[in-house]
Amino acid sequence: MRGDAAWWLAEAEQESAAAAAHGDILFHIGPLPVTSAITTAWAIIALLALLSYLATRRLEKVPATRLQNALEAVVEYLEGHFGSILGKERAWQYLPFLSTFFLFIIISNYSGILPGAGHLKGFAAPTSHLGYNAGMALVVFFSYHYFGVRARGMAYFKHLADPPYMLPLNLVDELVRPLSLSLRLFGNIYGGEAVLAVMLTVLPYFLPTFMMGLELIFGYIQALIFTTLAAIYIAGATEHHELVAEDEHRRHRGPGPRAQGKEVLP
Amino acid sequence: MTIGAGLVALAAGLAVAIAAVGSATAQGKTAVAALDAIWRQPDAAGDVRGAMMLALAFQEALTIFVMLVALMLALKVTA
Repeated sequence: MRGDAAWWLAEAEQESAAAAAHGDILFHIGPLPVTSAITTAWAIIALLALLSYLATRRLEKVPATRLQNALEAVVEYLEGHFGSILGKERAWQYLPFLSTFFLFIIISNYSGILPGAGHLKGFAAPTSHLGYNAGMALVVFFSYHYFGVRARGMAYFKHLADPPYMLPLNLVDELVRPLSLSLRLFGNIYGGEAVLAVMLTVLPYFLPTFMMGLELIFGYIQALIFTTLAAIYIAGATEHHELVAEDEHRRHRGPGPRAQGKEVLP
Repeated sequence: MTIGAGLVALAAGLAVAIAAVGSATAQGKTAVAALDAIWRQPDAAGDVRGAMMLALAFQEALTIFVMLVALMLALKVTA
């Protein structure tokens, strides 16, 4: 019957099947089709560029504008997070690369929760499309190899055959990385949207609200996971001063509670 | 709907359910270990939380992969 839950479900399925079959192609640039996800990605890129421009237009040592203050907090948070993986020096070196991914992915994840996402023409969350995530994962894949070669020269490729019998396993591990990186992000975001769509048909008023709250947490965690894994891959590829950096990190953290004479429960 | 299509739909549902059992068990163990560690040494809560998130993501990914396979199966039935 038109309007009941089963009808909505059938409609939604038809819609997603149709979108999967030929995509929601808006127009073509040369031979390349442009879909809603791509135009949304352009909008996100423009938004990030505009925010960064506005915040850094008049930089001052003591932030004069709220925007500069807010963005400094974001940069400090990301620096602290990547610093705990890469060490402070390398964290600054790769911060532009990693935090661009983080900001793009988190805004893209959140754009899927906005009303109209996936229904309005030209508006769909890029990270809920496998192609976009696969592209980002491939950029990470080639980048960390490049960083590794830049930091260690051709000796970088020796770690693949460190005990020679591990070569096939290491090769498989390297090739699976971009696959799992892209599938994890796609599955989580697309899965979340699918669950939300089903909940909307079952109980349209209150249930989806909780799920949307959870989606906010998931979107943040998935952005963090993607960039954390990228940072770990980079750390592994540019390894030779990692031990030094880690020692430094340990020393600066100071003694634990046991060493300070506090009582520690067993 | 033929019996074959019904079996495919059953396989799609069961696949996610069985995979979720494994992921949930592993994630429960991870969370318990992490909470235990935070309780023992609250100073290290930040480090433990980061490592836990990473471990959880790896365990979660397996169910997500199965879910993608199940979605492919489900689309096959509806098409």
